[in-house]
Amino acid sequence: MFGEKIALNEETYTLAFKNALTEIKNVCPEINRSFILMSNGALIAGDEQAVDPSVERAVRSLQDLAEKTVSVGGLDGLLIDAENGKIYVSRINSMYLITALSKQTDLTYLRTVSGVILPTILKVLDSISLEVVSPTPLRSVPRFPSTPFESEPPTPLMEEKAVEETAEEIEAPVSSEARDVLASETESESPKRSTDLPSQQLIVDKFGGLMVRSDTVQIDLGILQRWGSSLNLKEIREVDVETFSGKTVRCKAKVISDQKLEGRGLIRIPEKTCETLEVKRGELVKVKPVVPESE
Amino acid sequence: MPIKKKVAQIEAPEHVDWAPKIEVKEQLTDLRAVLEKIQAKEGVIGYILRAATSASVDIKDPSKIIDYAVLSASTLESAEGLLEAFGLGKFCSIVVEGRDLKVLLLTIGEYRVSVFMEKNVDHDPIRKELL
Repeated sequence: MFGEKIALNEETYTLAFKNALTEIKNVCPEINRSFILMSNGALIAGDEQAVDPSVERAVRSLQDLAEKTVSVGGLDGLLIDAENGKIYVSRINSMYLITALSKQTDLTYLRTVSGVILPTILKVLDSISLEVVSPTPLRSVPRFPSTPFESEPPTPLMEEKAVEETAEEIEAPVSSEARDVLASETESESPKRSTDLPSQQLIVDKFGGLMVRSDTVQIDLGILQRWGSSLNLKEIREVDVETFSGKTVRCKAKVISDQKLEGRGLIRIPEKTCETLEVKRGELVKVKPVVPESE
Repeated sequence: MPIKKKVAQIEAPEHVDWAPKIEVKEQLTDLRAVLEKIQAKEGVIGYILRAATSASVDIKDPSKIIDYAVLSASTLESAEGLLEAFGLGKFCSIVVEGRDLKVLLLTIGEYRVSVFMEKNVDHDPIRKELL
């Protein structure tokens, strides 16, 4: 079920961006070829062009380059002025627009057009997609049904049942380990703390580099602040990242360093940790803050 | 008389095998001088000058040298791949923009130059100065 929803979304994104590329070409006729490299590695070609293997290889090398630009704060743009034309690559949120242009292209105009059209489409699609795919709203809400707990303190048995109900609601398997963790939290912590424990589904964005620590993930400041305030913590230092196949990793949490990726419901996970979790760019994971025992 | 003969020999040498070497050396010296001037500009972080068998590096923060060298090499590799795929011929110049910095890459003769600078620096005058 979960996989089907993702596939449907990709199709929608592909169609929307294909049309967007065609429209951009209509207003900038100097564009010879244009592609969009999505954050999950998918390559979309505009104007019914075929993505031949050489282009695909070249674009993949661009993906490698993007991972090696940590020293300059990530790849924002690339302009190659060549003998017979230009190649212009620009980052739009977490994806890249790649265009092959004629020598006379007015780059300022292209920047303006693509910088308006694509982010707008992406924003609209993201808002639709998050409503459809993620049953967990972006604003943090108590993970468990609140009505029964307001009147009287819950018994461990009731909470276990609540966990099962929530797991059914999100239509994804929760590992037995995760249930054990939740059950043990129910037994050891105060009722308020366990009932308010927030969690959120976030989209995976992979990042790497020489200086990247594999035990640290990056999350929106807003999400961390919301968790902090709902749990009465000064800051969220650690989070549990759980995949829908049941793999869980505990990582240190930091704020997303790239301002352009903020507010998009992303969790940036180092490459090594992605391999451990067996997740790819664009997949959803469930993220929960870790409450220190001393707090 | 013997003195005159010597002078004549120097002015009109018969063997000119060494001439291209001098030219290359002069080009390198000129390039270094231009790069030193550019390096002194506000916002310029440093440069890497690469020849077939040698390289000179002048980066303000030495801890970044490896990162920048890797970035420079990866950019050239990636650019060549893209140009080949799109059939646009050889590159004249490349500008890579990061969030904090940008890099200008050029090929001048047998040398490949990468100039690292802050993002707000206008790279166009630097490119013109080098070419």
